[in-house]
Amino acid sequence: MYRRILAAVNEHLNSEVAARYALHLARVCGAEFYLCFIADKNAPPSVFDHAQEAMKRLFVEAEKTGIKTESITRTGQAVEEIRAIVRNQRVDLLFAATRREDVERRFYAGTVARSLSLKLPCSVALMRVVHMGKMRPTKILVPLKARISKVRERAWFTAKMAECCNAKVVAFHAIKPITSFFHGEIHLTPYEWEKRLPEGVSGFMEYLRKYEIEHEGRLLPGKTARSITIEAAAKRHDLIIMGASERSLLTTLIKGSPVEEVLRETPCDLIILKPRHED
Amino acid sequence: MKINSLSREDALRQLVSSENGLSDAEAAKRLSENGFNEISAVARTPLFMRFLGQFTHFLAILLWIGAGLSFLSAYLHPGEGMSRLGFAIIGVIFINAIFTFIQEYRAEKALEALKKLLPFCARIVREGRENSVHSREVVPGDIILLAEGDMIPADARLLESSMMKVNNASLTGESEARLRDHMPSEGELLESPNIVFAGTTVTSGSGKALVFATGMGTEFGRIAHLTSAVEPGLSPLQKEIVKATRLVATIAALVGIFFFALGFFIGRSFWDNFIFAIGITVALIPEGMLPTVTLSLAMASQRMGKRKALIKNLSSVETLGCVTVVCTDKTGTLTQNRMTAAKIWKDDQVIDAKDYSPQAGDMLMQTALLCNNARFADNEYRGDPTETALLKLARERIGDSGAKRISEIPFDADRKRMTTLNRVADREYVFTKGAMEGILLLCCRSLVNGTEQQMDDAFRQKASEACRQLMDMGLRVLAFAYKESKGQGAKDKKQEGHEKDISRSPVPDPHSLETDLVFAGLIGLEDPPRPEVRDAIEKCHDAGIKVIMITGDGSRTAVAIAREIALVKREPVVIEGADFVNMSDRELRKKLSEKEIIFARMTPKHKMRVVSVLKEEGERVAVTGDGVNDAPALKKADIGISMGISGTDVAKEAADMILLDDNFATIVNAVEEGRAVYENIRKFITYIFASNIPEAVPYLAYILLKIPLPLTIMQILAVDLGTDMLPALGLGTEKPTPSVMKQQPRSMDKRLLDFSVLSRAYLFLGPIEAAACMFGFFYVMYGGGWNWGTMLQRNNILYMQATTACLTAIVITQASNVFACRSSKESVLGLGLFTNRMIFLGIGFELCLQLFIVYTPWGNSIFSTSPLPLHIWLVLLPFAFLLFFAEEFRKSRLRKGEK
Repeated sequence: MYRRILAAVNEHLNSEVAARYALHLARVCGAEFYLCFIADKNAPPSVFDHAQEAMKRLFVEAEKTGIKTESITRTGQAVEEIRAIVRNQRVDLLFAATRREDVERRFYAGTVARSLSLKLPCSVALMRVVHMGKMRPTKILVPLKARISKVRERAWFTAKMAECCNAKVVAFHAIKPITSFFHGEIHLTPYEWEKRLPEGVSGFMEYLRKYEIEHEGRLLPGKTARSITIEAAAKRHDLIIMGASERSLLTTLIKGSPVEEVLRETPCDLIILKPRHED
Repeated sequence: MKINSLSREDALRQLVSSENGLSDAEAAKRLSENGFNEISAVARTPLFMRFLGQFTHFLAILLWIGAGLSFLSAYLHPGEGMSRLGFAIIGVIFINAIFTFIQEYRAEKALEALKKLLPFCARIVREGRENSVHSREVVPGDIILLAEGDMIPADARLLESSMMKVNNASLTGESEARLRDHMPSEGELLESPNIVFAGTTVTSGSGKALVFATGMGTEFGRIAHLTSAVEPGLSPLQKEIVKATRLVATIAALVGIFFFALGFFIGRSFWDNFIFAIGITVALIPEGMLPTVTLSLAMASQRMGKRKALIKNLSSVETLGCVTVVCTDKTGTLTQNRMTAAKIWKDDQVIDAKDYSPQAGDMLMQTALLCNNARFADNEYRGDPTETALLKLARERIGDSGAKRISEIPFDADRKRMTTLNRVADREYVFTKGAMEGILLLCCRSLVNGTEQQMDDAFRQKASEACRQLMDMGLRVLAFAYKESKGQGAKDKKQEGHEKDISRSPVPDPHSLETDLVFAGLIGLEDPPRPEVRDAIEKCHDAGIKVIMITGDGSRTAVAIAREIALVKREPVVIEGADFVNMSDRELRKKLSEKEIIFARMTPKHKMRVVSVLKEEGERVAVTGDGVNDAPALKKADIGISMGISGTDVAKEAADMILLDDNFATIVNAVEEGRAVYENIRKFITYIFASNIPEAVPYLAYILLKIPLPLTIMQILAVDLGTDMLPALGLGTEKPTPSVMKQQPRSMDKRLLDFSVLSRAYLFLGPIEAAACMFGFFYVMYGGGWNWGTMLQRNNILYMQATTACLTAIVITQASNVFACRSSKESVLGLGLFTNRMIFLGIGFELCLQLFIVYTPWGNSIFSTSPLPLHIWLVLLPFAFLLFFAEEFRKSRLRKGEK
């Protein structure tokens, strides 16, 4: 599925950490690995130096693991240049780190990360690095909606991430509690909840089974974003992989965006995946 | 792969740092990207929004509509007093909102207490220079310098260390400091010796470390995240009240609409129908219920305070009453945390410590005395409870020793032993004490009948068997060993004179000291159970509450103690920490369904999982805790109970209840009080709801019989928010009955407002009161010469006297009703009429308020009343007796039926 993986690197350490994840993924996928650095025209030389050094380190690391690697440095507008690289090199997946502004801005509107997620013709994995001490996650939490599109690619991505780190996957679905007007919230035991596992989640787990990845399903009632972060913190997950928000700006304004909330409050590293490969 | 497994060079490479640290520019860049190294709260609904929420729930909306319609009526028909009603309804909304908010409000201070555990400044290396910076400016990749007494600002990988010990109590709950080492190690970060964590303290030694996580990314941040993100949700009582108010509000609204439509078909004017609809709705809504519940909870929390259980948020008072599982620590809660030496195993026999007489040069006692950091000063023993017990035993047997300590290898939780090198007379001795499994491996000889013998497998087996035997008695067992040392201390002779001055003693190499030791014997230490705990556990069993012990002790000791306090009677399921970690939730759920279960060798971090699984199974869980990392479990549980004496500030802030005496029996007392509170709430709800019928019947009579309205809306509010309040509170102070702890915990399906409460209030007590009030109304009306069908003006004296009589009848019968509601089945005469003084105070207040309403110009003006002659009161009095004795008759029939 991923034959060419591109990692966007900049002068920040987070981007290097994210690129390392991309590198591991490229290794298990047998993909070609591309590193790119797009410099702003007015960027000071120190920015170039830092980014070039990061590229060098990653290049050496990639060579050590025997992955075919190419590095690209360009000057210009980041999103446009990356789009051009994606098109020219027929990249299947882009890895990029989120910036502070993505966390601080509402709906991370107008940020490079959002533009990359929306405008690129390939799948995009945006990564927020929280913990630099866990280079290879051993427990991955995958929050899923009841109905999900592009299940195969999501499962593939998760499976490969789990494979490269030898990690266990927990497919997690936060469900709205069952309530009635006169009885309030109705309590169901985990066994009863399990019977209500949505098709999307069970489909996802079916793929993981097929890819022979150790996994389990978990369904809990509660507010989506809060349940995800609590689950990740309580069960000491090292990485969360969740799908990019598919809500419109208006829906987000009214209902909020779980992705945005998790991005802001994640207790561990987070990958927001925007898949492009249709099932 | 984690940073603990990397070499120092690789760790630096991963974080793109160096021995010289980051440059200032790079640090600034990382700070801008990663944010400050500080603990922050997760986003919560703002306080004002939570308060506003009290004005928008179903009942409040209904009342807003009522108030709006009243103002509309006042606008369309001025002079009818409807605007006053509108304001009164808004007042009701505010009163209810404030009282409900008081119940639900809980200041989030746990996070503040957590923040205090982080240092203000940190020493770091940047651009090769040592700097002191504000700890919030520490970034990943920074090199921090650590020395004795330092608080650690961020999670970091040690690059250098010199006998550095760190107290991880805030994270792991272990009070013993742990030796840290900079060498790469495998396994989990939390267990890794080369990792230091934010919020912990360096107790000795020094080191240099590479920061890899800051702020909320740290382990400390994880605890903070869980502490602030876990929302306890509504308490069982709050849920019940929501259900009850929805039910009542719906009934009131439907009845209002139904009779409005009925009046319309009967042919009454819109205006009459409208007043009626509003009136019947207001009459059926128990406006005083929420304030009374809140006040009753507040009073119960005061009572609990007197029983050494400090309640932090009001709704917890009742939640305690419905807990089904109590997860409790052992040491200090079930036991006294007062260690005493109970048994000694020596020369192949177990001896009672009190009967032990030492031989000359008793090496077991020497080891217990000298391998010990407790002190005897000012006629008391000071130090760790275990060491104090050993010092006391040895001092009382062999007296003080003139020995001097040369050096010490402190106790370490990983090694589970402590060693000292002492000079006794002219000889040097190594003394070691610790866990049996470790000490036995270090010994090659044993001391039998005063002579040292080569140790064989048979002896090892005997010693191990003896250790198990002592553990089965519930004792904490320590093994003791020694050897004469030749020369190890010679180089330390300069240190003489610094007796027990550990800080200045060099730390010797454990490998050279702790070899070829002579096994001296075992001492079993007892932490006696609190005397009142056994009864408390029995009470829990009778009350259908499961008690789960979670302890760091070994399983044998835990089981033995559990047997001693009657926590277990059969063979319990014992889960040890190591098995617990590898257990799936499904397996754990199955184990937790067993009747008797003990968790041994557990650390506080495991508690939250136990609580979560129990809650998922529908249990209502109370959990005890005292450490910082207990905070998430305390928040997650239905009732988090912190220890008042040994608890940290963080645990206290996260808890719902603080035990002022750290005693398990206090929890059980609080549960008993909580159960009584629920029963009392049901009692006063019956009382309050009973008065809704005499408030509603006059409206039905008004619409159906075409008579003047016998009771005004303001008079209804006078009952609901005035005269009923204090007697209801009096019912809230009823003492727990003996049977309250003999019943199973309240089922989640059991409603506060169930058929028995509603039928008793609406179909039995209410109709008697309604008869009284209608009698009073007609008695005055006919006495004043009124003829059926004649409508009177609102300011007509006769009419005002008649409504006053109607109101007075409700007040008089409610005074009797308050006695009737003291029990649902038992005879009040049997309970003792005068056993609850608060009821008399309440009735006194009720009557005074009624006198104010009836006989003062202000009361007359506000409530449209008129003074009544005394005989009217006397005429109404028999109804009070009727209600009381009718209720006694009903109860006796009920008791007979049960027999």
